[in-house]
Amino acid sequence: MRGVLAFYTRPYSQRQVRVSSGVSAANEVPGLPMKLLLVEDDAETAAFVLRGFRERGYALDHAQNGRDGLYLAIEGSYDVLVVDRMLHAMDGLSMVKALRSAGVATPVLFLTTMSGIDDRVEGLEAGGDDYLVKPYAFSELAARVNALARRPPASKEITVLRVGDLEMNLLKRTVTRGGEAIDLQPREFQLLEYLMRRADQIVTRTMLLEGVWDFHFDPRTNIVETHISRLRSKINLGRENDLIHTIRGSGYCLRAPATAS
Amino acid sequence: MNVKAALDRQERARIQSDALALKGEFDNGGIPDLMAAIHEREQNRLAGGLNYSLFRSNGVRLVGRLPPFKLREGWRHMNGPPDGDEPPGQLEHLLVYSIRLSPKFWLMVGDDIGLLSRLDNTFLQMFIIGLALAVTLAVGGGIAVSAGFLRRIDAITRTAEAIIEGDIGQRIVLRGSGDDLDRLAASLNHMLDRIGVLMDALRNVSTAVAHDLRTPLGHLRQQLEDARSRARSTGEYAEAVDSAIAKTDSILETFSAILRIAQIESGSRKAGFRRINLSEIVASLVQSYGPTAEEQKRVLAASIAPGITIDGDRELINQLVVNLLDNAMRHTPAGTPITVSLVEESGAVALEVADKGPGVPEAERERIFERFYRCEASRTTPGSGLGLSLVSAVSGLHRGAIQVLDNMPGLKFRIEFLRTAGAA
Repeated sequence: MRGVLAFYTRPYSQRQVRVSSGVSAANEVPGLPMKLLLVEDDAETAAFVLRGFRERGYALDHAQNGRDGLYLAIEGSYDVLVVDRMLHAMDGLSMVKALRSAGVATPVLFLTTMSGIDDRVEGLEAGGDDYLVKPYAFSELAARVNALARRPPASKEITVLRVGDLEMNLLKRTVTRGGEAIDLQPREFQLLEYLMRRADQIVTRTMLLEGVWDFHFDPRTNIVETHISRLRSKINLGRENDLIHTIRGSGYCLRAPATAS
Repeated sequence: MNVKAALDRQERARIQSDALALKGEFDNGGIPDLMAAIHEREQNRLAGGLNYSLFRSNGVRLVGRLPPFKLREGWRHMNGPPDGDEPPGQLEHLLVYSIRLSPKFWLMVGDDIGLLSRLDNTFLQMFIIGLALAVTLAVGGGIAVSAGFLRRIDAITRTAEAIIEGDIGQRIVLRGSGDDLDRLAASLNHMLDRIGVLMDALRNVSTAVAHDLRTPLGHLRQQLEDARSRARSTGEYAEAVDSAIAKTDSILETFSAILRIAQIESGSRKAGFRRINLSEIVASLVQSYGPTAEEQKRVLAASIAPGITIDGDRELINQLVVNLLDNAMRHTPAGTPITVSLVEESGAVALEVADKGPGVPEAERERIFERFYRCEASRTTPGSGLGLSLVSAVSGLHRGAIQVLDNMPGLKFRIEFLRTAGAA
């Protein structure tokens, strides 16, 4: 297992200490830190990613190739695997395929330099849960990893979503706040549902474009921003406190004022 | 040999009928009439007449040149003295018909059939000569033709090698004969022309990529240098870094757009074509752009015929429509109305995105799909100059014909998808 722990043993987290901003406040999990496995052969990228996650309080392991990654992923219990698609000695795709056939269901996020549409589909079909094209902003990666780690089990049938006094009935397709009905357009409903399912998490603009609009490209027009601002004013109902918070440089976060950690 | 048999039959008929005619003369007028008739025929000897001989029953020859022989009725072959038309040293070959005129007289009519009997040999000879000639011609011609063929193949090879060496301007010289090889050479030349055009386009794109990326990279560098020398506070540094990240992102975006266009143009996405509901896609996109349009005080009107489907790629069609809407929103002032329409007319599906903005001068309209092309009027608006190139690539992949029209005022994009485009 040469090289597997090369980065793990480096005390990045002790070298740089930065005061957590509002961004990480939403990410931080009290108690056990989240455990992440990064399978990446590019040293510079690996250092960048590892440093970023350590600063946010994650526990990380690093493997440099798919074979070591597979070994670690089967042995250890990780919350999320971040896997580069192009790797020496077993590429990421084969690694995840092997992992899935071994019955390991840990969420996987693929990192890739291949921006092809087919590549994304291929990655998801191999058992990946999300897909991020390099180069990316670290905040984007962090938000996605966090979303994967906190993803509720798929088996759980949810019919009502609640954030504070905001309530969404998925069967009746109704939204109320403090018992007061809010009239939403289909797209606004979809957007709110996406945010409510990920309450207290940072949701990036790209995640919204993919999850709500099914856009896997970036439109030049700020449709996300305009929809958010419209939705925000609708669900605020003239109240002072916003439920949808804009996290500068990262995205949005739906958070009930009372439940903020 | 059928020819010989026919000639033989013909000859015998001629001899026999003449013999019977002479017997008729004899029956009518006895020896004097017969003699007269023979004499008359002898005069015509040179005109292809026959040999006549008259014998007594005791073998004495009264008239003619035919040698005496045992008298009996019917056909016989005999050799006579040469009469000059046979090859040297050979006797005349005669076919003779004998007929008994009366108990006392016999008539013999014969003809020189040397020619006929030699026919066999002649045929054989002609056959051999012909065969030899044919073989000679075939082999000689083959050698000549293949030598010519090989020379021309060599010429093609030399041209190909010159092109491999880098002289892409080389073309195969045509003979103008319009034969197979010429046609092949012509299509090879045509192919080379096409490759040349594509290579030029590629060269232009690479040059454009280099140019287009050098400018923002230059700005980025200036900005970083400026921050290095002038920023005094953490806030100023942070601002400079944020701006540098934004610039880098826009450069990266240009790269992704280039890669995406290349991928679309490769045609590999075609394999994943499905029947998609264009009406729903366009309606949903127009709806998504509603709030932004409203914010910009625009009227975004749509007239979409329901239930229109095409074979295509949902994601790419999404991007096509988004890019057209983005384009209209970004290049027209706030408040400018935008209209989207989708109709099916006479087997074709027509999608139109039109605005009432300043429009594009006619001279520039054809060029707006070129990669990195920025209209004079829009050089200052941010953008990669690739949005419409992508529209054109996606439209091309879906076999759509795209037009840029004058909306009087403003610009109108019209894409016609062939509805019957193979429901694969």
